[in-house]
Amino acid sequence: MKSKLLLIAMLLCSVLCVLALSGCRKSAAAVNVGAASGAYDTEPDWNDGAKLIPLGYQEAQGKRVFYQYCVWCHADATPAGPSNRSNLTPVPPLINDGEKLNGESDEFMQKMITLGGSALGKSAMMPPYGKTLSPAEIKAVISFARAIAQPAYQKPGQQYTTK
Amino acid sequence: MSKHGIINWLHRTFFASPAHRFAIASVLLLITLAIAPTKDFFNEWRHFQRQYVSFLSSRQDGAALKRQFTGGIQQIWLPELNVVDRCTTCHLAITEKILQGAAGIPEPYRAHPPAGHNVKEWGCVVCHRGQGPATEVAEAHNATRAWEQPLLPVKFIQASCGSCHHGELPEAPQLARGRELLSRLNCQGCHKLNNLETASLGPDLSSVGYKVSRAWIYKWLKEPRTVLDKDGNTTVNGYESGDESRMPQYRLSEPELLSLSAFLSVQKARPIEPYKINPSVVAAWSKKPDLISQGEERFRELMCTTCHPVAVTRAGEAKLIGGNIAPEITKVGSKVNEDWLVSWLHNPQAYLAHAEMPRYGWTDEELYKVSQYVMSKLTDSDLLTPVPQLGAPSDEDIKNGKRIFLEKGCATCHSLQEILPQKDFGPDLTAMGAKNTSELDFGKSKAPHNLISYLQTKLKDPASVNPTARMPQYTWNQADLDAVTTALLSQTGKPATSALQQLVVPKKPASFQAIGAFATVYERYKCYACHRFNGYGGTLAPDLTFEGSLAQKKWIFDFLKNPQTVRPALILRMPQFNMTDKEASILADYLSLAVQNPAVDPESVDPRQFTPAMVVTGKALYQTKYQCQSCHTIGGSGGYVGPNLNNAGNWLTPAWIEGWLRNPQALQPDTIEPRRDFTEEEIRALTAYLMTLRVGITKPSAKSAANAHPIAQGAGR
Repeated sequence: MKSKLLLIAMLLCSVLCVLALSGCRKSAAAVNVGAASGAYDTEPDWNDGAKLIPLGYQEAQGKRVFYQYCVWCHADATPAGPSNRSNLTPVPPLINDGEKLNGESDEFMQKMITLGGSALGKSAMMPPYGKTLSPAEIKAVISFARAIAQPAYQKPGQQYTTK
Repeated sequence: MSKHGIINWLHRTFFASPAHRFAIASVLLLITLAIAPTKDFFNEWRHFQRQYVSFLSSRQDGAALKRQFTGGIQQIWLPELNVVDRCTTCHLAITEKILQGAAGIPEPYRAHPPAGHNVKEWGCVVCHRGQGPATEVAEAHNATRAWEQPLLPVKFIQASCGSCHHGELPEAPQLARGRELLSRLNCQGCHKLNNLETASLGPDLSSVGYKVSRAWIYKWLKEPRTVLDKDGNTTVNGYESGDESRMPQYRLSEPELLSLSAFLSVQKARPIEPYKINPSVVAAWSKKPDLISQGEERFRELMCTTCHPVAVTRAGEAKLIGGNIAPEITKVGSKVNEDWLVSWLHNPQAYLAHAEMPRYGWTDEELYKVSQYVMSKLTDSDLLTPVPQLGAPSDEDIKNGKRIFLEKGCATCHSLQEILPQKDFGPDLTAMGAKNTSELDFGKSKAPHNLISYLQTKLKDPASVNPTARMPQYTWNQADLDAVTTALLSQTGKPATSALQQLVVPKKPASFQAIGAFATVYERYKCYACHRFNGYGGTLAPDLTFEGSLAQKKWIFDFLKNPQTVRPALILRMPQFNMTDKEASILADYLSLAVQNPAVDPESVDPRQFTPAMVVTGKALYQTKYQCQSCHTIGGSGGYVGPNLNNAGNWLTPAWIEGWLRNPQALQPDTIEPRRDFTEEEIRALTAYLMTLRVGITKPSAKSAANAHPIAQGAGR
């Protein structure tokens, strides 16, 4: 009788083992972490106001900087109404002008904003912002420009995927 | 029987001898011991770490990262913040610069873009919330039964900034807007909240019976708007234009409306001081056919719309124009009594001691013209048509009205004789942003059960989660709803540790004590309603903290006497107060001496040393090398991002111009004028040139004011 009890105890033990192991390797894909992704902010597509473009962290920071410093000359509508763009010769590109800006590298854009137009042989009407904005803020503005570019901007270089 | 047979068979085969029993027991023991390592081996985070290694192998620049990689649980421990953060166990490349901004990187290996706080120092959960010590995806990110604080959706991430940064934070505009709305709508009237500006209260109603009729009160309580759109039936949605009315809508029944309107209409605590316009003025003007049009012209010249929004129809679309710091007045002529209007315009503080409306220096003629214009043109004959015949208020109605006034919490915003302010009428919200879902009562609402959905459902329709809610109905656009949600989520209560408390960035106390004769004039014209001094005051008009260093005294005097000349490009302009010479010189004297920037030494620049050669050089620098005309206008051409410089020589002090050219942000931190690499010679030359720019003062007509360019943002900043 004693040994029979032992047997039952051991059987129970094995069942427990199986149960304990069954908790392993839950499929991570089944868990919804959508809350973390999503957009920090959105910007309407300038060519189609009904379409909202989601912005990541850096792009949202860029939007803030853009609407404080750059919007006056690089957009046709500003928070205060009309734009200063038409007062300038040459007329500065719209920030979402993909045809003009997609071809320029991030490094070039960074230099242009940091050093101003005259340092790069372009219009002196573009002042340097290197002493006013931090490199990270300038980078953020560029990423915002890339995010809302029309036609859409494609990142250069290798596209990585996991095996 | 067969069951018995199996057991017997097992017993015979495995337990026949002690040796058998021992062997079986050993095997089972080994298996049991193996459970923990096996479980560990198949853990989610190991899976992600193995995948990370193969991901790195697929990259050309992955070799260096692969050498650095050490497996196992990674942890950022911040004992002073009470934070254990194991997120980097799976988010292995979160601080890798190489991967920042690279394309096509899958989660969880993306690097965090550069942020205000270094991820290595602060970890993830300080901003993103979630459960730091967890090592499983679901437990770390989602709400579970044991852990009810899931990740904060990044749309509301600025709430985390607000938990520690109690003052203004330019990087968090959504939080700032939310806090602004919380104080603008006087949420603190009912709720306890932290880190807000002092709330703005609704008007004192002690004498409201003299001001408006019972019918108007009825209409206002039912639908607190006065603006109708072009069809005359729906209201202009002020929420789209940011000019929302601050009075929310209460869900009042017909008897409640009757009683409350009766009670309020008999509030006549302080008789208005009747102001009698000189009868000869009335006699002379009342018969003039152009009385109203002249009144309108004067109304425009006074720039009432700088503070008061007015609805206009532009291109077939009704919208509000003008400032938003004072009540909307499109239909004020159908609201107030004429006697009240005249005495209010003459001396607002006599009716309402806390009124922020300046006391203009009216002539009887102006007062008559303008009040006649307001009473006859800013009207709507249909405004009170939906109101039933009310008649004289009965004693019963008045008694019930008082009870409803208290029940609805009206005294949280409005003061009334003999009724004490109702403090803590609503729940304490200082820890609302850290509430667990189980603490929230969703009632019969079908909203998803989480904190954010609760907040938004409650804000949108308080009755949906609680039919007996006392909270009134507000109208929000989505952006404002999200902003208020963010501000509420930032109310996370007291920091958990004293070390955390020390990290809190408190709000800078702002105070400005006006003294002496200056204080009298400053109070009369309520300079602080629009201008900011040393962090105190409104933001509608330029910050005057350093005005004494910036502007010449004579210019300040001339401007105060005739404020319409400075920036013709603005639609929101300083009103003309009809100041006396004495008042203007008191303000000019005080401002030029007392509100100075210590970094700007007026003695440091002597304009006499400017030579014509410097002026020529300066002009060339302005026009060719630096092309300042991209933002500033001189003569008829240039941009209008920065202020017009036509009169710079009369307006600005040379010391300010030089200081500004050296480093604009040192004098005004939020200015958008970029700091440049001028040499000292260039600075001197530019200053010499700007000081030659002078124009005579001419008074622009009301017409040009009406057609003025509305760009305001850049000017003067």
